[in-house]
Amino acid sequence: MNQDERTVTVVLGDTQTTFTLRELCERGDIHAEFVIKLVSYGVISPLNEGEEREWLFDLPALTRLQKAQRLQRDLKLNLPGLAMSLELLDDVQSLRREVDRLNRLLQQLMGEQ
Amino acid sequence: MEFKDYYAALGVSESATPEDIKKAYRKLARKYHPDVSKEANADEKFKDVGEAYEVLKDPEKRAEYDQIRKYGGREGQFEPPPGWRSSSGFGGGGYTEADARHFSDFFESIFGSGGASRHGGFGFRPQGPMRGEDVHARLALFLEEAYNGCEKQVTFTVHDPVDHSRLKARAKTLKVKIPAGMRDGQHIRLKGQGSPGVNGGEPGDLFIEVELAPHPLFTVEGRDIVVTVPVSPWEAALGATVTVPTLGGRVNLKLPKGASTGRKLRLKGKGMPGKHPGDQMVVLQVVMPQQHSEQAEALYRQLAELEGTFNPRSKLGV
Repeated sequence: MNQDERTVTVVLGDTQTTFTLRELCERGDIHAEFVIKLVSYGVISPLNEGEEREWLFDLPALTRLQKAQRLQRDLKLNLPGLAMSLELLDDVQSLRREVDRLNRLLQQLMGEQ
Repeated sequence: MEFKDYYAALGVSESATPEDIKKAYRKLARKYHPDVSKEANADEKFKDVGEAYEVLKDPEKRAEYDQIRKYGGREGQFEPPPGWRSSSGFGGGGYTEADARHFSDFFESIFGSGGASRHGGFGFRPQGPMRGEDVHARLALFLEEAYNGCEKQVTFTVHDPVDHSRLKARAKTLKVKIPAGMRDGQHIRLKGQGSPGVNGGEPGDLFIEVELAPHPLFTVEGRDIVVTVPVSPWEAALGATVTVPTLGGRVNLKLPKGASTGRKLRLKGKGMPGKHPGDQMVVLQVVMPQQHSEQAEALYRQLAELEGTFNPRSKLGV
């Protein structure tokens, strides 16, 4: 792998980006049907109610969709399994964070004794 | 080039049945999937496992690989036999389990680089422009950096098109200006900084997920910062003004009279900055001096007599 020496400075300006259903599909090479199903399973949610063609998704929805796509592709999960896996992974992640936080708090409290 | 032991990658023996191989692959794919595993090199391991399965699940490729393995590449450096040509090729079936564009040089030297990726469609690439792939990267920040904003260097892998069917990995480095107030797990999109497009297609984007490194003093809860502040028994009993650290510098905090360990005090607006800045929560912890002088002990005895009715264990029913 060649190391690219070029370094560019980027100023963030678009953390609030939104994507239409069409943009979401084009970006991930995903069928709209898959996205619609994920919405119906509550895996991702559009920011707005209404017609599918008017749906707008935020950045976390896009990254979650891409994660769902990778998991489905690599582990051959069906939709209910995928929805459940993503929920459990979210739970595991928030529990890990909570355990880390509590451990640090405990260390602080014990360390001062 | 390094020889890859596909049997070792899947943890199976040379005599493993196709069923054993499938079972081992499925188990390891779940274990090392980068979206599931927290191991540092999960990504690499997952690719190795995928590549190994790609070869060993196919009887033809497996036979070729076994031949190569016998030829002497079991350890260390590997060069394919002179005039080696794979008969399995990749014109027809393409890849089924993994992304072919990310297979190793070792794989390519044996099986060629037909490279029919299902996802990008590079095997059947149309003449028209194609958007470059999006790239995901993680960026670890110290809490101070997230609080103040900072400039960080991010290195990630993009794939450049080499010819009509191949992509080549390249490390790309960007300096990214991170705004103040980024939180753990937050995503940033850098438009057009992913892999280059093909045939004039627009480049993909770079997505960065921010991770906050643990801080020895402060913990983060949403937009709030939590800090434990030790206080002396007399500060807790009488009330006092104490200096407490915040990410924005020291501030003075007035303790109420009779504060106990675990009591929370709020410093408004001293949490993570942003449109709606968080608060800093100060959790009090009453600590005792390591040793007391005789005079202090006498004063404690006097206190014990005065406050004799106080039972700190009343909640325990004793």
